[in-house]
Amino acid sequence: MKWIDVYLQEVERRLPEKNREDILLEIRSTIEDMLPENPSEEDVKGVLQGLGDPVKLAHGYSEKPMHLIGPRYYDTYISLIKMILPIAITISLITLVAENILGTVEEGNVITMILAIVGEGVWRVISVGMQVFFWVTIIFALIERVDIGIEDEERRSPRKKWTPTDLKKVARAPRRRSISQWEVYGAFLWTAIWGTVYFHADQLLGIYENQGEELTFITPALNQEVLLSYWPGVVLVIGLEIALALYKLLKGEWSKGIMWFNTIQEGVSIGIFVWIITDEKLFASSFINYISDLFQWNSAQVENGLAWRIAAIFIIFSLWNIIDGFIKYKRGVKKTKLNHEFVK
Amino acid sequence: MSQLLNSLLTEQRRGNLTLAVLSQLRTPQYGYSLVKRLEDSGITIDQSTLYPLLRRLEKKDLVTSSWDTTESRPRKYYVLSVYGENVFQTLKEEWKKATNELFRLLEEENNEMD
Repeated sequence: MKWIDVYLQEVERRLPEKNREDILLEIRSTIEDMLPENPSEEDVKGVLQGLGDPVKLAHGYSEKPMHLIGPRYYDTYISLIKMILPIAITISLITLVAENILGTVEEGNVITMILAIVGEGVWRVISVGMQVFFWVTIIFALIERVDIGIEDEERRSPRKKWTPTDLKKVARAPRRRSISQWEVYGAFLWTAIWGTVYFHADQLLGIYENQGEELTFITPALNQEVLLSYWPGVVLVIGLEIALALYKLLKGEWSKGIMWFNTIQEGVSIGIFVWIITDEKLFASSFINYISDLFQWNSAQVENGLAWRIAAIFIIFSLWNIIDGFIKYKRGVKKTKLNHEFVK
Repeated sequence: MSQLLNSLLTEQRRGNLTLAVLSQLRTPQYGYSLVKRLEDSGITIDQSTLYPLLRRLEKKDLVTSSWDTTESRPRKYYVLSVYGENVFQTLKEEWKKATNELFRLLEEENNEMD
């Protein structure tokens, strides 16, 4: 009997929590069914041989997928990694340059400095690469295990029965309506760049002056502490932008859902941007003084004028993006209608 | 070669096993009685595939199960549901059609060889 107990134990620890007792009871009763009365050790071994490897048996009962990322998401996963990896590496290198070259201009051993930067660069590229790989994999492994809305979409596209008329839909999706991978790539890149600039604004945004041979960073434009205190809003916008880009990647064309998501995302961005830029303490006083000296304005004028001018530009761009989304979507709808009439 | 053959055979049997199991569950069966019936009919089964298969069929509502505790040891009985019966009939017809076609195809190939 010891053989059976150990066998069952081997199965048990690999079974899903749910129904564990029930499954074990069934296997035990099956084993006993197979044994003759007063079984010898050989009989027991024979029966267990028949049941086979306990690992294999237990895996048979497993309801979760036995792979990290299955065929359904593999393509998207790979294309996303290919997309994000170069962006992440570029960004990490920009940050590196910002920190080293613009921050400290030291006379001295140039070669040592370059070597140090290259070394640091290689190290960062490797660690950023690992991070990207790790997080994207984790997210997709989770998607694989949780059924979310995207699954319906996926099921609809490759699993729906294909007919030649589907070809017309592809041809129909006008170039103006379809979303290219480059557009998604651009969206990711844009998010990554402004995100980086946001977190390193004190090193990147500011007044540069040409003093003699080189460009010198005189004063940062913004109070980094004030700027960073808005991080939850900024993270929200980053999250929305990434979600929208992913949504576009999965859909491949401007749909109603994407149009509305786009509108909401732009709306939220406007709100948060204006909220941040109209903060009185946002601009560094040294920066305000510099500007007011330059244009002979008083500092209050500079503060208000500057904030709202920048906000206005931003709002115009956002509104344009919203309208652009509407137009792209409408064009597609109009085309579709025309096509239907044509078919009739 | 033999490893490839093995995996091809496993693949081929997997689909057939579902049909074979469904066919035997029109009367209630417990695990081992099902194994015996299938083996008596000369069907090769991998037991580590069979028992989990029964659970999956139950989860998809093709069979229902109940524990019988009246005998010396408790046994879990499985039997086709009405839905399972319908699915089984459809599968059976499809299988017959497919094997007939395949059979003809293989015969033709035989004749060409002669």
